[in-house]
Amino acid sequence: MNRKLWLNLLGLAVFVLIPAIARAADEPFLINLFTRFAIYAIAAVSLDLVLGYGAMVSFGHAAFFGLGGYVIGVVAFHTADGSGILGWQGTGQALVLWPLAVATCALAGLLIGFLSLRTSGVQFIMITLAFGQMFYFILVGLMYYGGDDGLAIETRNTLPGIDLRNPVNFYYLCVALLLAWILLCRRIVGSRFGMALRSLKQNRRRSVALGLAPLRYQLTAFTVSAAGTGLAGVLWANYALFVSPDMTSWQKSGELMAMVILGGMGSIFGPVVGASVFIGLEQVLTGWTEHWMLVMGPVLVLVVLFGRRGLYGLLVPERLHG
Amino acid sequence: MAETARLELRGVCKSFGALRVTDDVSLTVGAGELHALIGPNGAGKTTLIAQISGELQPDAGDILVDGQPVTRMPAHRRAAAGLARSFQISQVFPEFDVEDNVAMAVQAHSPGGLNMWRDARRDPRLRAPAREAIARVGLGERGGVRVSELAHGEKRQLELAMALALDTSILLLDEPMAGMSAEESRRMAGLLADLKRHYAILLVEHDMDIVFALADRITVLVYGRVIFTGTPDAVRASPEVRSAYLGGH
Repeated sequence: MNRKLWLNLLGLAVFVLIPAIARAADEPFLINLFTRFAIYAIAAVSLDLVLGYGAMVSFGHAAFFGLGGYVIGVVAFHTADGSGILGWQGTGQALVLWPLAVATCALAGLLIGFLSLRTSGVQFIMITLAFGQMFYFILVGLMYYGGDDGLAIETRNTLPGIDLRNPVNFYYLCVALLLAWILLCRRIVGSRFGMALRSLKQNRRRSVALGLAPLRYQLTAFTVSAAGTGLAGVLWANYALFVSPDMTSWQKSGELMAMVILGGMGSIFGPVVGASVFIGLEQVLTGWTEHWMLVMGPVLVLVVLFGRRGLYGLLVPERLHG
Repeated sequence: MAETARLELRGVCKSFGALRVTDDVSLTVGAGELHALIGPNGAGKTTLIAQISGELQPDAGDILVDGQPVTRMPAHRRAAAGLARSFQISQVFPEFDVEDNVAMAVQAHSPGGLNMWRDARRDPRLRAPAREAIARVGLGERGGVRVSELAHGEKRQLELAMALALDTSILLLDEPMAGMSAEESRRMAGLLADLKRHYAILLVEHDMDIVFALADRITVLVYGRVIFTGTPDAVRASPEVRSAYLGGH
């Protein structure tokens, strides 16, 4: 057993034990906090696939987070008032809705990725930002769905056999999905596909000379990443029972990037640390001041300056990394 | 010369603005032939290699592999057509180890590139050919070393291993000995001598001793134009080559 494995198991143990700790300490709010950790960790791990492994700096990933959430919100809206969507009366079944929402996000990712990957570098950042903002303003303009104010959702989606209205059950579902997503992403980055993606990041010119077509790999990664980020949005809509255009704002995209960078790009586990520390700090600091970014900003700068591989990189020696 | 040239250039031209960097270049490389491309700095050797490998598009003329035009083929498909290139300045994957690097070359020409499940580092279909190519260039002991920790000469050997692992039959070698110590160059020259029967090789090289020792034919490029093509002896004897390039050599 090496240090990396110990650290990962420790992290897993904390996530698993939190409901018990919360009960023992009589702090039920801990479960909510850790639910948010898990949800944002799924989004951050997804972003790491393109940012850390593909060197695609997507500044519009919040669009997928919001889109996943809005699929849940809009279906709930039409199901609740009995109006239905395009002749479909709607459903509250997670097993139907969640794959639908994730597939919608994958499709959006395919489209946005296909258009954005015509460019690279700063242009890529700007075009993904533009797509994100486009989503934001479309949602703000949709007065029917609450516009700026967003949409409240009456109840969580249902799963057979598990009552998701119970916060502990919902929490464990989020943790299970996070774990599954991490394991899947680990496989992806170690596969032929993942190696090709990482080779393109390190030396695009050489990869092309070897015969790899960049678009194929980058677009696939972007699509998978969009699907994962969409799943996080789905969970968020169920957690908060509320969706609003803020989910797709550029600030949200920036926060996701900050989580990945804080935790350590290109490590899959790092973004989990990053998301937890980011949201945890936000939670603590907003208790003191609403200008909590005044503290978070310097923390980010220090981490980037002194640990180029993020917090996770500080904890795990380089040789075991990635 | 061989019956069908493995690689043929017909009247290739390329200009950057008013500067003609490739001016009506025609040449052939036959099977098993080592064809050296020499010329003073700025003669357009690397630019010509870039056009053959597809990084640059010629303005006019044709590039043929086994008689089939590849002139308009994108760079990433030319490897499949049979062209492997090594770079003048080592172009490798610094975060990977030596074996990963060469395995990428193997993977690039095998199916299943979008496989997201199977662990690529434990796939013998990638690893076995990679190890073979690494051993062939004399890096056998260094497979697990991160490329950023390799010595310069070793990176050049790695470049060659990657070209070999592509499993192609035409090698475009752009100064494989650039920056090598005398000892490393000597070893690389021995390696090229071994390889030359099995591949069609277009070699750009500054070291004239090595060129004259290894090449079957030599093309002399000056200001983007071919001023002479012939055997080493013919090149050495040619007065125009002497005045234009070789000087007192």
